[in-house]
Amino acid sequence: MHGRVKVRTTEEEKARKEKEKQEKLKVFKHAMQKIWDKRKKEELDLELMELTGKVLTSNPDIYTLWNIRREILNIFRKDMESEGQQLVDLYDAELRLTEYCLKINPKSYCAWHQREWVLTTRSNPDWKTELALCNKYLKFDERNFHTWDYRRFVISQCKPSLKEEFDYTTEKLLDNFSNYSAWHYRSKILVDLHPDLEAGRPIEDEHHKHELKMVESAAFTDPDDTSAWFYQRWLLGAVKTTVDLVVCTISPLKTTVAFNEPVSKDYVQMTTNLLINDVSVNGEWLPCEGKKYNNVWIFKHNEIIGDNFDIKVEYNRENVDKLTILCIQKNSLYIGRNNISFQRKYSEPVIKELKKQLDSCRQLLTMEPDNKWTLLTTTFLLHCINAKHYHNEVIDILKTLQIKDKMHAGYYGDLITKWSIELQLEDDYRNEELELKVKFAEKISSLPHLHYYSFCENVNLFNQNLTSRVLSTLSVLQHCKKLSLENNNLTTLKGFPSLNLEELNLRGNKDLDMKEVEIFKQQNNYNVIF
Amino acid sequence: MDDDLPTDFQVIVVGTGMVESIVAAACSRIGKNVLHLDSSDHYGGLWASYNFDGLQKFIKEVNSDPKRQQQVYNLSEKWYIEKETPQEEKKEEGQDKTEDSKAEPPKKVWSQANFTSEYRKFNIDMTPKLLFSRGPLVELLISSNIARYAEFRCVTRVLTWLNDRLMPVPCSRADVFATEAVSIVEKRMLMKMLTSIVGYNEEEMNNEFKDWNDKTFKEYLTHKGLTPNLIHYVLYAIAGGTDKMPCLEGVKECKKFLMSLGRYGNTPFLWPMYGSGELPQCFCRLCAVFGGVYCLNRPIDKVETKTVDEGKTMVTIESKSKTLNCDHLVIGINECPKELLSPEPAESCDISKAIFITNGTILPSEKEPLSLLRFPPLTEEDNAVTVLEVGPATGSCPKGLFVVYFITNKVKDAESDLMPYAEKIFDMSGGDQTVTSDKPKCLWSLFYNAADGGGAGSGAASGADGVFVCAGPDSGLDFDRAVSQAEEIFKQICPGEEFLPRAPDPEEIVFEDDVTHGPEFRREDDDADGDAPKE
Repeated sequence: MHGRVKVRTTEEEKARKEKEKQEKLKVFKHAMQKIWDKRKKEELDLELMELTGKVLTSNPDIYTLWNIRREILNIFRKDMESEGQQLVDLYDAELRLTEYCLKINPKSYCAWHQREWVLTTRSNPDWKTELALCNKYLKFDERNFHTWDYRRFVISQCKPSLKEEFDYTTEKLLDNFSNYSAWHYRSKILVDLHPDLEAGRPIEDEHHKHELKMVESAAFTDPDDTSAWFYQRWLLGAVKTTVDLVVCTISPLKTTVAFNEPVSKDYVQMTTNLLINDVSVNGEWLPCEGKKYNNVWIFKHNEIIGDNFDIKVEYNRENVDKLTILCIQKNSLYIGRNNISFQRKYSEPVIKELKKQLDSCRQLLTMEPDNKWTLLTTTFLLHCINAKHYHNEVIDILKTLQIKDKMHAGYYGDLITKWSIELQLEDDYRNEELELKVKFAEKISSLPHLHYYSFCENVNLFNQNLTSRVLSTLSVLQHCKKLSLENNNLTTLKGFPSLNLEELNLRGNKDLDMKEVEIFKQQNNYNVIF
Repeated sequence: MDDDLPTDFQVIVVGTGMVESIVAAACSRIGKNVLHLDSSDHYGGLWASYNFDGLQKFIKEVNSDPKRQQQVYNLSEKWYIEKETPQEEKKEEGQDKTEDSKAEPPKKVWSQANFTSEYRKFNIDMTPKLLFSRGPLVELLISSNIARYAEFRCVTRVLTWLNDRLMPVPCSRADVFATEAVSIVEKRMLMKMLTSIVGYNEEEMNNEFKDWNDKTFKEYLTHKGLTPNLIHYVLYAIAGGTDKMPCLEGVKECKKFLMSLGRYGNTPFLWPMYGSGELPQCFCRLCAVFGGVYCLNRPIDKVETKTVDEGKTMVTIESKSKTLNCDHLVIGINECPKELLSPEPAESCDISKAIFITNGTILPSEKEPLSLLRFPPLTEEDNAVTVLEVGPATGSCPKGLFVVYFITNKVKDAESDLMPYAEKIFDMSGGDQTVTSDKPKCLWSLFYNAADGGGAGSGAASGADGVFVCAGPDSGLDFDRAVSQAEEIFKQICPGEEFLPRAPDPEEIVFEDDVTHGPEFRREDDDADGDAPKE
C-alpha cells in the first residue's frame, strides 16, 4: 500500500531521546571544562563570552557564568575609555541573551539580575523597551513576582505616570485577583498617587472607598482567596497615625518615658524635655529595650527627686502645639499620663462605607454562618468602626472562631488579648492606680501594649496563658517592684530581662525547671517565689 | 481518471459531514482501506461553510430542486440593502482609500455588489457550532493530534437578554469579581452555587438532588435562595435552559459549562477559525495522510447488500456507472437513498436557523467580540434561542461586518420562530446605514429549517447490514452527538480497535527507502541520511 506511514515505536523513540541526552551532556561537560580552564588562565575575552553564552542558553541558572560575563564586560568597560560602538553592541547582545534565557526560565533570578545590571551599567538605557518586556512577561504569567520586582525597578528608573501603573494593576487584577504582587504594587502606588495631604491621611477618601469596595467584591467572590483579605487588612490600617507620648514616670531611682510607637534617640532628644521645679533637666537618654527604636526610653540625670516637687514633661513635636504633661505624685513616684485612644480614626465617608460593608457581612453570615473569613472580617469591621461599642460582640465572634478554626486559635487568642487590653487601658489611664492586673475574664496569651504600663509598681499576671515567649517584653516594666507570673505556662526563664524587682512570683508554672530557677535565684537579688 | 479508482475497499464513506469524516479518519488511522466520496464539489455536506458565492449556489440548488436536498427547507433569503452603491459615493470611496490612515472614514455603505465582489472573504456556516473547551471534540482533537490542522479563537463573552436588554453574563471568577450588575451578596451566592455544582462528587450529587428528580432546575435555584437575576444567569445563560428544564439536566449542563472554564480563555468556548465547516476537513486530512482515497463530485446511484459466504455481508454501490465493493458502507443522511433509511419517521425535532449579516456588533466592546448569546424564550411556546456572533477576526466576513447565527428547535417555521428575537437586537428597517443607532443594521438575512432525523441512539441504525447511516447536524451547541455517533459506528466496524489513537508528528515517522515518497519528504530523507540523529 502506498503512503502508509510507519511510526517509531516508543522503545525506538526512547533510545533516540536517550542518545540525544548523552550527546548534550558530553557537549555541556566539555564546554564547562573549557570555561574553567580559560578563567583560571585569566583569558577573559570574547571567546569566553561566547562559551558562557552558549551554555547559558540551555541552562540560564548557572549564576557563576553570569558572574564571569560581568567580569569580562567590566574589563571591556575599563579598557574602552568612552562607550564605543563595540561596547554598545556587547550590552545589546547581553540584553538579547537574558531575554532568550528568560524565555526558557521566566523565573530565573540570575537572568533578571543580569538584565538589571546591564541597564544600570550602560549609558542611555532604553526603559520603554524594558517596560514593554515586563508587560509581555506579565501577560504570560500575571503572578510572576520576578517580573513584578523587575517592573518596580524599571519604574523607579523611568518614572512613568503613576496613573498608568495604577490602571495596569487594575487590568491585571480584573484578569485574576489572586495576585499578591499586583495588590502589593497597587498599595505602593495608591499612597503616592492619591494621598490626602490636607487631612494628613494616607489615602484620599474617595479612593479609599473605591479600594474598599473593590476588595470587598473580590472577597465575596472567593472568600477563600487570601490575597484580597490581606489587601483589605492593609486598607483598614491605612489611617492617620501619629507618634505620641504615652506616660512618663519619675521615681527617685529612675526616669522613663513611654511612646505609643518605637522612636529613635534623636527623636526623644528633640521632642522631650523634663522640667523639675520649672528647671529644665539635662541628662542622657538610654534605650530600655536595647534597640535603635524603643517604646520606652530611660532618662539618666543627676537630680534628686523628693516629695512635693513640681515635675512636668514638655513634648514638642513639629507642626503640633507643645504639650505639657503634669506629673502627679503617688507614693514615691511622679506619673504623667497623656490621653490615649486606640480607636482608629477614619473620615466620615470611609466610616459610612465600612458600615455598609458590615451590613453585607452580616447578611452573608445569615447565609453562611460558618465562613471563617466572613466572621473574621466582621470582627475587624466592628473593631474599626467602634471598638468599645462592639467589644463584647467582637470577643464572642473571636471565641467562636477559636472553636471553628482550631488551627488559628492562638491568633484569635492574641486578638482577644490585644483588643481587651486596649479597652482596659483606656479605663486604667483614668484611674491613678500603680497596679496592672487583668480585669476581664479571658486569659491573656501575650503582652501587647505593655509599655503603657511601664509606670506600674505592681504587675499581677496571675492565672493567665503566658508562655516564656513574652519574657523579653517585660523589660519595659522599669518601675515594677512586685511581679507575679503565677499559674502561667512558662517553660524557661531564658530571656528574662534585668529588672529592679523586690518580688517575683513564679509558682504554678509546671514546666519550669527547678534547677534553672535555682540558678536564676542566685543571679538575682530579689525574692523569687517558686 | 475514473479508471484509476480501485474498486475494492474495506470501508467506503459517502458524504463528508462531521460524523462521516470522523469515521473515515478513525478507520484509515488503524489501517483500514478507505474510500471517501461526496456528491458535491466541496467538503462538509450539511456541515459545510460557504463563501458568499457558494452560499448563493447552495440556496439556488435547494430552491430549484427541493426533493434533492430534503434535509433543508423553508429557505428564505432577503436583502436589506441596495443592489449597487450609488455612483457618486463610489468615487468618494476611492478618495478615502488614499488617505485611509488619516481620518476615520464614515461608516461604509454596503451594497449587494460589495458582497458579490468580496465574496471570498465570507465563510458562512450552515451548521455553526461552538466547542466546549473540555468537550468531547476538543479532547478528541487533542488526543488524536488532529488539533494541529485547526485553529481556534476563544469566545470572548457570554451574553443574555435580561430586562429587555443585552447583558454580559458573569460566568468566570474574574467576571464575577469585575461585574457591577450584581450586589456583592449576590456575588457570593452565585460563586457558591457555581463552585458547589462543580465540586459535587457522585455521592454528594445523589444526596443533594435525591428529592429533585421530578422537579425543574428553576425550582431548585429558587429553593437555594438565588435572586431573580442570578436565576436568570444560571438557568438561561449558563445551563442554556428554559423554565421547564429538569433539575438534574440543568445541573449537568452547568457542570459542563463550568468545567470548561479557564482552559483557554475567559469563557468555556472555542470557535473554529474560518467556520465550523473546517472541522470535518481536518478529519478528512488525517484520513488521507493514512492512505484514504478522496473523490468529490461523485454521487452514488445505487446501494446493494449481498451476503457472501459465512454470513459476511458485502456492500456494492454504483457510482458513475462503476461498481465499488466494500465490507462496510458509512453514508451521510443527506447522501442516503430513501430505501436505506429506517421506515418509521424519526422523532421529529427539526431545527429553525437563521443567518444575519450586520454592520456592527450587537453590544460594542473594546476589542472585536466573539459572542454567545443565550436568549431565554420570549413566550411560553417558544424554545430558548442560541445566537452566535462572529466577526472579521474569525475569517467569517470582511471588515466592518458581523455574521450572526440563530438556532432554536422548530415550533412553526424558521422565520416566525426567530424573527421576534432578531428584531430585539437588530435594526431590520433597512434604512440609512450611516446613521448610528443603538442596534446594528441587518444587511442580509437567511432563514431556513433543517431536519434532524438522527435523534440519539438511532445514529448507527440502518435498514441493511454493513450500512451505517450518519445523522445530520443537531441543534446542540457542541459536536457531542457527532463524536459519540462516529465512535459508535467505528466500534461496530472495527470492534476492539482503538478510536483515533494519537497520530504521530513528522519527526516520529520513519522513512524507508523502498517506499515512494512525495517530493517534500524526499529532501528531508536525504538530509537526515537514514535515521541517524542530527547534532
